[in-house]
Amino acid sequence: MALFPLLSNFEGDFVLQLVAVDTENTMDEVAAAAAVHSVGRRVRARPDCIMRIRRQGSEDFLPRTMKVSESGLKPTETVEIIWEAARH
Amino acid sequence: MAVLNRMDWYDLARSTNWTPSYVSEDELFPPKLSGDFGLPQNAWEKYDEPYKQTYPEYVKVQREKDAGAYSVKAALERSRIFENADPGWKSVMKAHYGAIARGEYAAASAEARMMRFSKAPGMRNMSTLGCLDEIRHGQMQLYFPHEHVAKDRQMDWAFKAYDTNEWAMIAARHFFDDIMMTRDAISVSIMLTFSFETGFTNMQFLGLAADAAEAGDHTFANLISSIQTDESRHAQIGGPALKVLIENGHKAEAQKRVDIAVWGAWKLFSVLTGPIMDYYTPLAHRKQSFKEFMEEWIVAQFERALTDMGLDLPWYWDIFLNDLSQTHHGMHLGAYYWRPTLWWNPAAGITPDERAWLEQKYPGWNDTWGQCWDVFIDNVVDGNMEKAYPETLPAVCNMCQLPILGTPGKGWNVKDYPLEYNGRLYHFGSEVDRWVFQQEPERYAGHLSIVDRFLAGMIQPMDLNGALHYMNLAPGEIGDDAHNYAWAEVYRAMRAAKKAS
Ligand SMILES: [Fe+2]
Ligand SMILES: [Fe+2]
Repeated sequence: MALFPLLSNFEGDFVLQLVAVDTENTMDEVAAAAAVHSVGRRVRARPDCIMRIRRQGSEDFLPRTMKVSESGLKPTETVEIIWEAARH
Repeated sequence: MAVLNRMDWYDLARSTNWTPSYVSEDELFPPKLSGDFGLPQNAWEKYDEPYKQTYPEYVKVQREKDAGAYSVKAALERSRIFENADPGWKSVMKAHYGAIARGEYAAASAEARMMRFSKAPGMRNMSTLGCLDEIRHGQMQLYFPHEHVAKDRQMDWAFKAYDTNEWAMIAARHFFDDIMMTRDAISVSIMLTFSFETGFTNMQFLGLAADAAEAGDHTFANLISSIQTDESRHAQIGGPALKVLIENGHKAEAQKRVDIAVWGAWKLFSVLTGPIMDYYTPLAHRKQSFKEFMEEWIVAQFERALTDMGLDLPWYWDIFLNDLSQTHHGMHLGAYYWRPTLWWNPAAGITPDERAWLEQKYPGWNDTWGQCWDVFIDNVVDGNMEKAYPETLPAVCNMCQLPILGTPGKGWNVKDYPLEYNGRLYHFGSEVDRWVFQQEPERYAGHLSIVDRFLAGMIQPMDLNGALHYMNLAPGEIGDDAHNYAWAEVYRAMRAAKKAS
């Protein structure tokens, strides 16, 4: 349990933003925390999608339940939050 | 007694150099301050300034310039131009004065460094006049806004801004400290006068003078074109120094200084001048788009100045040309969205008519920047104002100190340019900003950006109020929409019409 700063690069938004999460947060929780500062402010919500997290430069998403403390992310590292079509 | 013509004595008089005998040449001109590049005094005596003026001539011309600008101000003082101006135009003045006035005073000390420490006698003479120019610019640009301080507290930032930790001011100081306050005389001549002044101040001063005249603000138009006549003279200090360096085999060092200064100047103009020209200036008064101004002044004219000098275009020129139609839109959206952190009230500039102009000048604007603004406009129209203000900080670049941004919407290409150095993770807004850092990491590594300061606990409480306090923004000074969201009425009416049909 420790505060952990990340930089959020949210798909469709124009700027990187500071997001404070917790080392115990999962990637889904990180995405939700990042969305607070983009979705409904400068990016439209997409109810047909879920939000996934990946490192900048990587094509692969980090597992949704992975914790920040398990991810190897560094403080203030930039993560990309990408819309992924929800499977029905 | 017959008086000699200037050209009969100028060259001889100005190059009468001392040959020091009580101290060494290095003591008279400490290399760190003079920036002699290992060249002896006689190499620098070949410095030949294109613009030769004597002190009596200078005083005569400057007196006339001052009389002109001050008499226009006096004549129009009761005209209520300020009171009746479009709020977007007032914001132009506030942003300009705060960002520029005290920087001019600082520039006087940079000119003074060339005056005292340059080994080139011609440079010492020209920068003596340049130093007096900059004192004049500082004084005028504090005196002219002063009449408005009693009417509008934000005008006080003409004086106040430079001493604060307001984010745009941190960015401006970081740049000016780098190119003019902490460099040797020759580097100042290259970075401040050749790169910044030849390249960019035309934009701010002539471009803005044109917009000011259109807006009916003749006091401001006269003031800044009067200043620009000085700039275009002392901006020529750097050229002959570049020539000396290139002739003596130091082209690479000269080129690097140009490349660093031009990039920093571009970033600063993208946040200051870009929004002013393409968003704040009322549509009817816009002469050219920011991009058109940049293409005329920088791409056409400055490119030629570079190649005439025997220099290359900066290695990042393609990146720069591409960014000309993007970066300042992001700087505007960022400055506007974080508007409580400004000392002026930004005009949104996004009515349907203004958007049509933007789309015409920047094809694709609606599909990219417009997508972000669509969401923002809906919030304002719906009265959903808590979503129309920020609740966190944008990440800022560890070089230019401005938000790290890119194109949004359908052209989404936002990217971080990180670098680990001595165990610290730095973030940059572009490949070029990162490259500048890598040229001399120790020069920049110790600086903390506003975000670094926030994370270090230097901003308390850790929320917007704490940030505003840290930035010295008092109530009555913090920025909000220039027109108090009156532009939203058009969108409300459009929505009502759509419903009715
Ligand atoms: Fe100046
Ligand atoms: Fe100047």
